[in-house]
Amino acid sequence: MNLKLLAVATCLTVGVGLGQLMDSGAADVFLEATRGEFQKIPIGVLGYRDNTMVDGQARRVVDILKADLRRSQVFTVVDPPKSIQLARFDSTAVDRGLFTRAAENGLAVLVWGRLGQRDPDMVLDSYVVDGLLTQSSDADTVAGKRYVGSPSVLRLMVHRLADELVFRYTGEPGIARTQIAFVSDYGGGRELFVMDYDGYAPRQVTADGFLNLMPRWSPDRRYLAFTTYRGRNHHIDLVELTTGKRWTLVSANGMNITPAWSPDGAILAYAGSQDGNAEIYAMDTRTRSTRRLTDNPAGDFSPSWSPTGREIAFASDRGGGPQVYVMGADGSNVRRLTFEGDYNTAPTWSPRGTWIAYVCRTKEQQLKLCLISPDGQRRLQITSGPGADESPSWSPDGRHLVFSSTRDGKSHIYMMNTDGTDVERLTAGGTYHSSPSWSPV
Amino acid sequence: MRQWYSVVCVTGVLAVTLLLGSACSKKNIQATADAQEGKAPVVAKLEPPGVPAKPEPQPPKITESPSEPPAKPEPEAPKTAEAPPEPPASASKSEPLTGFEPTPKGAAPPEEPVSGGTVVAKVEPSESARERVQEMQQEQAAKTTADVAGTQLEDVYFGFDSWKIMERAKQTLELNATWLKANPDMKLTIEGHCDERGTLEYNLVLGEKRAKAVKHYLAELGVDAGRLHVTSFGKEKPFCHEHQEACYQLNRRGHLVGRAQ
Repeated sequence: MNLKLLAVATCLTVGVGLGQLMDSGAADVFLEATRGEFQKIPIGVLGYRDNTMVDGQARRVVDILKADLRRSQVFTVVDPPKSIQLARFDSTAVDRGLFTRAAENGLAVLVWGRLGQRDPDMVLDSYVVDGLLTQSSDADTVAGKRYVGSPSVLRLMVHRLADELVFRYTGEPGIARTQIAFVSDYGGGRELFVMDYDGYAPRQVTADGFLNLMPRWSPDRRYLAFTTYRGRNHHIDLVELTTGKRWTLVSANGMNITPAWSPDGAILAYAGSQDGNAEIYAMDTRTRSTRRLTDNPAGDFSPSWSPTGREIAFASDRGGGPQVYVMGADGSNVRRLTFEGDYNTAPTWSPRGTWIAYVCRTKEQQLKLCLISPDGQRRLQITSGPGADESPSWSPDGRHLVFSSTRDGKSHIYMMNTDGTDVERLTAGGTYHSSPSWSPV
Repeated sequence: MRQWYSVVCVTGVLAVTLLLGSACSKKNIQATADAQEGKAPVVAKLEPPGVPAKPEPQPPKITESPSEPPAKPEPEAPKTAEAPPEPPASASKSEPLTGFEPTPKGAAPPEEPVSGGTVVAKVEPSESARERVQEMQQEQAAKTTADVAGTQLEDVYFGFDSWKIMERAKQTLELNATWLKANPDMKLTIEGHCDERGTLEYNLVLGEKRAKAVKHYLAELGVDAGRLHVTSFGKEKPFCHEHQEACYQLNRRGHLVGRAQ
C-alpha cells in the first residue's frame, strides 16, 4: 500500500516537474509577458454618421478610434464586409441578424455611432454589439455611451471610448488617455513637455532656458519630478502640472539625478553625489528625510522600483563598465543582473514585474534596447538597426515602451510594442527630444 | 506489479504534462490573463486622498491618491519663486471608466460629460528665473575657457569612456595651476562633458568623474580645493554637434570656467 502511494507521489512529482520544464520555453514566456501573440479580438468599426456642420469630423473620430484600438493590442481592427451595413448609424439600426452576420465574418465586436452638435458642445454617441450582449439581453438592446464635451476635447472623447472598449473586454483600463512627458530643446534650453500618448497636443511645462532633465510622473499623475540645473548644481524639483507650481525636493551639493517614485508615491529614490560619488538615496516624500541605499566607490544611478515596491533595479559601474543590478528597497542583497555585453544601463521595471527593460550596447557599439527577466534567466534584444536607442519607459499596461532614438538622424521619441514591433514616431519637428516618461493610467 | 506501476506512472506523467501544457497555452491567448508570476498587483493600491497643499509656502505632501476628484481651488496657493499662482483647473488624473450601459433600441445612450484631460498650466519664466538663466547662459556662451574675462585657463580632453588625466592634460593643468595660484581671487567651476556615445544618465556620472579628476589633479598641484567647484553636463551641452570622432574628442572635455570671487 505504501509502495503504491510512493509510486503515485513520485509519478505526480515527475509529472509536474516535466510540465514545468515544457512550460518554460523562452518563447512562451516571452509571448506571455509581452503578450504579442495572444488572440486579439476582431472588432469592426462600422462608421460614424456626421451630424455636424464641419466636414470630416466623423471621419476623424473613426481614424482616432481605429488607431487607439490597434495600439491597444487587445483588438484587431477588421474592415467589416459589405454585407454588414447600416442604414442608420444609431441604435435603431441594431438587429440580431446584423451581429450574426458579423460573427459569420469573424467579427466579435461591432462599434458604430454618430457625431452631433449641441452648442457649444460636441455629442458623440457610440453603440456596441458583441457576444456578451446578445447572450444577456433582448434583441433590441445595444450597449451605448454618449460623450458630451467642447470641440477641443473631441480627441479625448474618442480616447475615452477606446479605453472603455479595452476595459469591457480585459477588465483593465486602456492607455489611450495616458500622457508622455519628455524633454525638448527649446529656446536655448532643455525644457519639459507633456503630450498625449499618440504624440498629439504637446504642452510646455518648464520655461527656464537652461537644463531640465529626466521627468518622472508621480503615481497620482499630478506631479513631475525632474532634474534641474541651478546654482551650478543639479537639483531635483517637483512641478504640479495643473498649476505650474514648483518645489525643490533635493538640493544637496553636487549632482542629483534620475528620480524614481516608489509605486505608492511615498518614496523618491534618486542618485546623488553629495557624499563624493554617485550613490542611490531614498527620500520620504512627506517628511523629506533621506536615507542612503548604496555605498560603493563606483557610480550607482538610475534606480527603478519593482511594481511591488520591494526591490530596486539600478545601474552601476562597480564592475568596470555599467551593468544592471538589483537590491532590496532598503539597499540589502545587491546582486548583478546583466552579464552579457560591457555596457548595460538605464534599467526600468515593467508594471507587471516580469521584465526589466534597459539600454544595452551591442558588439557593434550601438546603444539598443534589451529586456531581461528579474531572475536573469531570459534576455532579449528588442531594437536593432541604425541609431542609438535610449531612455526606455513602460506604458502602464506593460504592452508598450516609449524611448528616444537617433535612428532618423535627430533624436526623436518613439513608441513600440514590447516585442519591438509597430515602431511609431511620436515627435515631428524640433531638433532634439529625449527622456520620455509614460504617465500612469 | 512493478510493470503496472510504471505504466500508470508514464500515463500519469503524460496526463499531468498535457494538462499543464494546455493550461499554459490557454494563458497565452487570454487577453485578460494577468501577469503569470504571482499575480502581483500592477501598481500597489493607493490610499484615498491626502490633501493638497495647505495655505503656507510649504511643498505639498505627496499624497498617494489615485482616485481624487478634480482638485478644488485651494484656499491660498503657496507662492514660490518659480511659479505664477494660478488656480488649478482640474486634477490631471484621468476620470475612472464607468462601462457601457444597456441602451434600448431607438434610445439615446446615457450621457457623460468629458472635459479637461491633463491640464497643464501655462508657463512663463519669472524674473528671478530669467536673471539666473542669463547668468548661466553667459557662462556657457564662452565656448572656450580663454573667452572668460582675461583668464588664461585651458580646457583638458579625455579618452573615450575614460576619466583618466592624460599626459597632455597634465601639462595643461600645471599651467592652469600656476595661473590659479597667481590669481588667488579667481574661483573655478570645472564642468565635465562627454561625447554622445553613451546614455544620458551614464554620461552625467562620467562627466562628474572627469570634473573630479581635474579637481583632484589641480589640488595635488597645490590649488586650494575650496576654490574648485565640480559639475557635469554629460552630453547635454556639447561644444560640437557633428557625429564624428573629431567632434567627439572636443566634447570629451573638462571645461574650466573662472569667475571672480
